[in-house]
Amino acid sequence: MESRPLVVVGAGVSGTAAAIEAAKAGVPVTLIDENPVPTSMAGLNVPLFFGQRFNNVLRDRALMMERVAATNEAQYEAISEAEEAGVDIQLGTCVWGAFRNSQNSRLLDGPQIGLADHERSWMMKYDRLIVATGSRDLSFGFAGCDLAGAMGANGAHSLMSRYQALSAQRMVILGGGLLGLKTAKMALDNGIDVAAIVDIAPSMRGEKTLATLLQSKATELYTSHTVKQAVGNNGDIQSVVLVEIDDNLEPIAGTEKVITADTVCLAIGLVPNIEILSLLDCDLTFKSELGGYVPTHDDRMRTSVYGVFVAGDAAGFHEAMVHNPDIARNQGRIAGIAAAESLGATTKGFPPLKGEMSEGQRGPTQVHTIWKQWLHSLANAAGQDTFACQCEEITRSEIIGLEPPRYLEWESEQMNRRNLQTQLKDNPVNPNQVKRLTRAGTGTCQGRNCREQVALLLAEESNTDIADVPLSTYRPPLRPLPLNVIWPDDESEDVRNEWPKWFSPNNKVLG
Amino acid sequence: MPVDRAEIVIIGGGVSGLSSAYFLAKAGKDVVVVEKGMVGGEASGRNGGMISERTDEPALIPLAVESVRLWATLDDELGFPTEFIHQGRIQVAVSEEEMGDIFTERDHAQRHGISVEQLDPSQISELIPGISGRTLGGLFFANGGHANPQRAVQAFAWAFQDLGGRLYQNTAVTGINVKDDKVTSVETTVGDIAADFVVAAAGPQTALLADMVGVHVPVAPARVEIIATAPLDPLFDIALVGNGLYGRQAARGNLLFGGGAHEWIDVDLTSDPAKPNTPLIRNIARRLAELLPAVADVPVIRSWAGIVEQAPDYMPIIDIPDSPSNYIIVTASAHGFGIAPATGKVVSDLVLHGKSDIDISGLTLNRFSDLTPDWRQNRGWIPAHH
Repeated sequence: MESRPLVVVGAGVSGTAAAIEAAKAGVPVTLIDENPVPTSMAGLNVPLFFGQRFNNVLRDRALMMERVAATNEAQYEAISEAEEAGVDIQLGTCVWGAFRNSQNSRLLDGPQIGLADHERSWMMKYDRLIVATGSRDLSFGFAGCDLAGAMGANGAHSLMSRYQALSAQRMVILGGGLLGLKTAKMALDNGIDVAAIVDIAPSMRGEKTLATLLQSKATELYTSHTVKQAVGNNGDIQSVVLVEIDDNLEPIAGTEKVITADTVCLAIGLVPNIEILSLLDCDLTFKSELGGYVPTHDDRMRTSVYGVFVAGDAAGFHEAMVHNPDIARNQGRIAGIAAAESLGATTKGFPPLKGEMSEGQRGPTQVHTIWKQWLHSLANAAGQDTFACQCEEITRSEIIGLEPPRYLEWESEQMNRRNLQTQLKDNPVNPNQVKRLTRAGTGTCQGRNCREQVALLLAEESNTDIADVPLSTYRPPLRPLPLNVIWPDDESEDVRNEWPKWFSPNNKVLG
Repeated sequence: MPVDRAEIVIIGGGVSGLSSAYFLAKAGKDVVVVEKGMVGGEASGRNGGMISERTDEPALIPLAVESVRLWATLDDELGFPTEFIHQGRIQVAVSEEEMGDIFTERDHAQRHGISVEQLDPSQISELIPGISGRTLGGLFFANGGHANPQRAVQAFAWAFQDLGGRLYQNTAVTGINVKDDKVTSVETTVGDIAADFVVAAAGPQTALLADMVGVHVPVAPARVEIIATAPLDPLFDIALVGNGLYGRQAARGNLLFGGGAHEWIDVDLTSDPAKPNTPLIRNIARRLAELLPAVADVPVIRSWAGIVEQAPDYMPIIDIPDSPSNYIIVTASAHGFGIAPATGKVVSDLVLHGKSDIDISGLTLNRFSDLTPDWRQNRGWIPAHH
């Protein structure tokens, strides 16, 4: 098995900065990034909510490799610098698993990650790991959200900047915070019409000057509005119905507006990608101002697990980070230097803090309150019968009813008497239990697109603070990998010959 | 001082405990189930869902045969879905070694009067579309199938409650009080519960609970793993064993398969350390792709691990020790899910009548009376140093 002193996961701003700093200190660094992803993955909204809004150029893997490496000029310089500093960059390579010895798993030959490209998988041991996996889009269900063209801000950003492959003509953006306004500006710069920016609040939260600029480009700003429905033809969004809402987030009859658009971009919030940290059993705490569950870390970006560091959005995302990439870059530099020093390398010390800001400057402190209001407005406008879990097509009302999946066609008096409320009398709210019974979150995306929505729904129904709703478990593989990709193509004869039968007296003892 | 009482306290909200609770409540008994986490949170909700007549284990056959019969009635009986599918079990051989097992199993089954049909490769291909062309032969057991463990455990729990049973989740046992060879009460994190009878059906923790009353229950905990693929169109509804794996296609269409090396571990009564998967899931994926090459490109979307306990002979223990004489030990050696309905009946019989019509004479505790205390070390059934 390959073994590396330092592996950095994610070649975004923070991961690249981390890799450069560690390499400058003389540490051999491996920098891994899953982009470009195979088209089959992108079609499953992996790793981001692409909403089928990528064009055919995505199939040209060689070209995508070039673009991912070269598109963003600043990033290009950073990656060139990384190469000069002796960083081994592996693009098109995802991390689908992370394993270390612990109480119930003791036979591993050291901590290791599972990697895969579009054809095969392999394991890699590490001494130090920096998790700089960024963030993903918050996704909420609304009527028509399963049509092609419903996508997320990070997905749109990635298709515009990394891939230059965003196939959208006219966009409606949900979310009037900095994330939404910046996404609108970027779309306009890429020649995409932005028909409207929608927010449930009476005023846009994002920068006034930016909002004014967008208005001058014929973008309508709809405050106190929400989405009632995306209307499609042949599976593609053609128009979006907005509706005005009152102070109670209830739709006001007769205020519907039909906006012609082929794309609805959710830019309400971003969620830190903590999957790898969760698999490694790093301590996670709920911090609404940072987007939910985030790893605890010290001022050297060390997590609770020895040898594992975190940087950038994965450590916690706030809106000021959209504005100021120095925040993530600085975290990356610190993590890179700290990892190098912990390996015994000599560095020039830690950089002065740059871009850090006080809590009030970061963005909203109660992010989930805003998210909850959005979810309310969507439910009020379109009812509870829209999908919360799109993979398994589970509606919000089916979750509230704790209903067995429709394909079981189960009907009984006894079941009719059971619902989420009766379950809550027995047990504190538990997303894993709801997942088992309703199957919400058990689909191909493994809850990437629905876990926040389900957690908010459960918090609401159980009158629980969202911070007290446990994290729904992550399990490997973190990416949907075909059997013939995740399998070991170098399986040894020993493994084959010693494969035991199910607890039989004839078995060899395997630890 | 007890703050609560019940005629019967059952420790463990897994499938064995809840099945026992259900049948006792149905018989009119006042039952409390104490569960440290949520129902089915451990092996009962994490196993492969296989149900069969256990032809390979003679001591288990009476319990297993009765269980298959009961499984077929459970959805109606409980009023909740278990996803039980009674389409039988198929065991295929893809190697000469596995073919040897096939002959042995066939002989066992015939000797014990269990319905079995030997299959040639073309018959196997008809029953399991997409299966490897390398199969050499197989067996079809008409009685058996599979169910959804998580749904089945919840079904027992809800049906138990519907009969007036009390279910205390997130409640750990901290002690057991004994007086004059009888358990008097169970100490829990919500207070003491006085009881006339106590059933310990707590998986690997059953041994730790038994220690509290001075009884040695020889079981060793082990961690095992399962993978799940994305849903496929219906391929087969028969439980499938072969190429070193066991598994099924779930009602939703996902392939769920487990197998491979287990790892011996230790447990305690209070902590709940993570149950991680290991890179073994890659080897399971490979064997599944070999077994079903037609679907080798289906994505794996999830995996999980669970902890089972094993007695030295890999068989359940269902018994009342000489002392305390109102204490039933139930531990299943990873057979628990399939045999749970009959286990519940047996426990209910033992509490109500002191005996059961179902033959469990091969599952008593005294079969280990010659075992030395260091049996785990001697067998190497101990955790690696960590």
